Amino acid sequence: MRSVYLVAYDISCPKRYRKIYPIMRGYGEALQYSVFRSELTDTELHSLKELLWPLLNHDEDRVMIVDLGPIEGRGDNCVEFWGDPIVTPHERSATII
Amino acid sequence: MIQGPDARASMSSSSSPTTSVSTLQTSDKIPDDALLPVRMLNEFTYCPRLGYLEWVQGEWAENLETRQGSFGHRVVDKADRKQVKPPAKVEPKQQANSPQPDEPDEQIHARSIMLSSDKEGLIAKLDLVELEGDVATPVDYKRGKVPDVPEGAYEPERVQLCAQGLVLRDNGYQCDEGVLYFIASKRRVVIPFDEELVTRTRQLVTDFRATADAGIIPPPLEDSPKCPRCSLVGICLPDETNLLQLEPLTDQDNSDPTRLPTRLPKSTDPPRRLLPAKNNALPLYISEQGAFIGKSAERLTIKLKKEQLASVRMLDVSQICLFGSVMLSAQAISELSRRGIPICHFSYGGWFHSITAGLIHKNIELRIQQYSAAQDDERSLKVAKQLIAGKIKNCRTLLRRHIHDKKSPVLTKLTDYHQRALRVTSKESLLGLEGMAAKEYFADFFQLFPNHPALAVNGRNRRPPRAPVNAVLSFLYSLLSKELTVVLQAVGFDPMLGVFHTPRYGRPSLALDLAEEFRPLLADSAALMVFNNGEVNADSFIQRAGAVAMTPAGRKSVIAAYERRMETEITHPIFGYKICYRRILEVQARLLARHLLGEIPEYPSFVTR
Ligand code: SF4
Repeated sequence: MRSVYLVAYDISCPKRYRKIYPIMRGYGEALQYSVFRSELTDTELHSLKELLWPLLNHDEDRVMIVDLGPIEGRGDNCVEFWGDPIVTPHERSATII
Repeated sequence: MIQGPDARASMSSSSSPTTSVSTLQTSDKIPDDALLPVRMLNEFTYCPRLGYLEWVQGEWAENLETRQGSFGHRVVDKADRKQVKPPAKVEPKQQANSPQPDEPDEQIHARSIMLSSDKEGLIAKLDLVELEGDVATPVDYKRGKVPDVPEGAYEPERVQLCAQGLVLRDNGYQCDEGVLYFIASKRRVVIPFDEELVTRTRQLVTDFRATADAGIIPPPLEDSPKCPRCSLVGICLPDETNLLQLEPLTDQDNSDPTRLPTRLPKSTDPPRRLLPAKNNALPLYISEQGAFIGKSAERLTIKLKKEQLASVRMLDVSQICLFGSVMLSAQAISELSRRGIPICHFSYGGWFHSITAGLIHKNIELRIQQYSAAQDDERSLKVAKQLIAGKIKNCRTLLRRHIHDKKSPVLTKLTDYHQRALRVTSKESLLGLEGMAAKEYFADFFQLFPNHPALAVNGRNRRPPRAPVNAVLSFLYSLLSKELTVVLQAVGFDPMLGVFHTPRYGRPSLALDLAEEFRPLLADSAALMVFNNGEVNADSFIQRAGAVAMTPAGRKSVIAAYERRMETEITHPIFGYKICYRRILEVQARLLARHLLGEIPEYPSFVTR
């Protein structure tokens, strides 16, 4: 089952940032500039790490991954959000357009 | 390590000199696929069934452990381009006198090397080989920590490493030990290739070959702690297969719907629920005409006239369903098929007509069995009987739940048909029974809908549907056959060849077969739901010269109801754990495969109570 993660990062070079940002978008929703909320399984989290790892400069960049716990658990209640929040439904359903 | 002259001499004489130069690529004497990959030997040692599933049936699934394993290899997998000379083929005498001047005994590290040995019948990808003269030490990277066992590592890892050593030996190196490097512990564990390990390794190679040649899949482990950690657990269904292996399904013949199955389990424990109850990824349906689906990095973006309608993570998509004219970019198609996400194409009117998917499944054994079963009247009738009997029973259950008169004669009649279906001796009589049962069922089923004049409920008709309920039913059946086509294809079946429905051009017969038992459970009940909850009404339909079609909004409501139904979790009637319907479809398809491959005596139809 998936858990909610808060992923934040500092990328010191714009060129690397431009590569990393679209990957982050594939794994979550941007809450703020460089702060993402991601619903991921263990394996998906692992894939994200796999993708990010080779793109980072490990001396200059920083990534922080915080496990907020299972969806429908503490996951979202522990984040206080001011401003226009990102709404993510707890019950996932098929997308119909 | 300094190498003495005698060691060198003995090495040259004991190894096969002909293969000593065939480094870096497989030899052409034995075809590539006859060589056993050493990685597979590891799996076979872990569990013979796992090795068989992966090597013989071409099954592959990832889980966290396999992924972490390969991530641990990220350094070593980058094959370095520097040259590594094969061990020199020199005369022992000359060698004994003087070490070659141009080859000082410095240590060379060679990463990610592919080597094979015809003599051992093995092919290996070596993470790292440490070379010192002609002495080679294979180093294999393992995720995790050093296990607390006297041998320093579990058997599969030791056998895998030893097999690498045997391949190195056959290539002319001297190799008496190997190293397992445990990434989490950052520790090297030296594994000596003693007589015992070498014998065991060769024995396993022989056993694996014999098993593969015999073409008989090893039985699942019983109640083993290995299974929850096995990446193929959802394909293997160990506990379920063990449970169904013994007893024939006597309860299917039972007229009392409240009776519990009487099968005696092989192990006293009920099956563990080893696969998640629900999938994380779900279908994406697009019926907006003129919409365009593109890929942007790890997302799919859906646009209409340059305006973005939605953007979804690829992680969240299990399949894509397109209605009418919706476009996809070539990049999106290629990425989707690479990820094994099928694209299902429907006409605007909802007719499921094609599917775009990646490469065909490797499990050729299954398709061979499927074809031979389809040609064998007795075998196919056996399965067809279960499917139709299951369907009739599920129809009865649906009616029993909804009609007021619980003593209605239709219930008795359906019970009768159900029992007769299990006793028929020809496909024709099964077809006849199915028709009669359907007639009885639909007569009462249509009474369950709200009696609104605009909805004009008047019995089942199709092609074209002439009333709203029929339009909805046809559409739902179409969604269901799409679903089963996807599932069957993923399991390795050919969806086009069935056991009950005769193959007709462009019809996924096997999907229609399997749909039988699920029609009442998934489609008919979703239809009841949308009408009785008012999710569709007279405005959701358009009359066109006698035919009835759904409006786009009406169709979306029906899809939503269908999807809710698919995600509903219920307790599995045989296995006793909670699982959602979409997973049940997959489990049923796998059980059908287990039956056709001869592992379980009967296909257990899925019936609710
Ligand atoms: S699930 Fe268990 S029995 Fe099946 S292949 Fe894996 S380890 Fe073997």
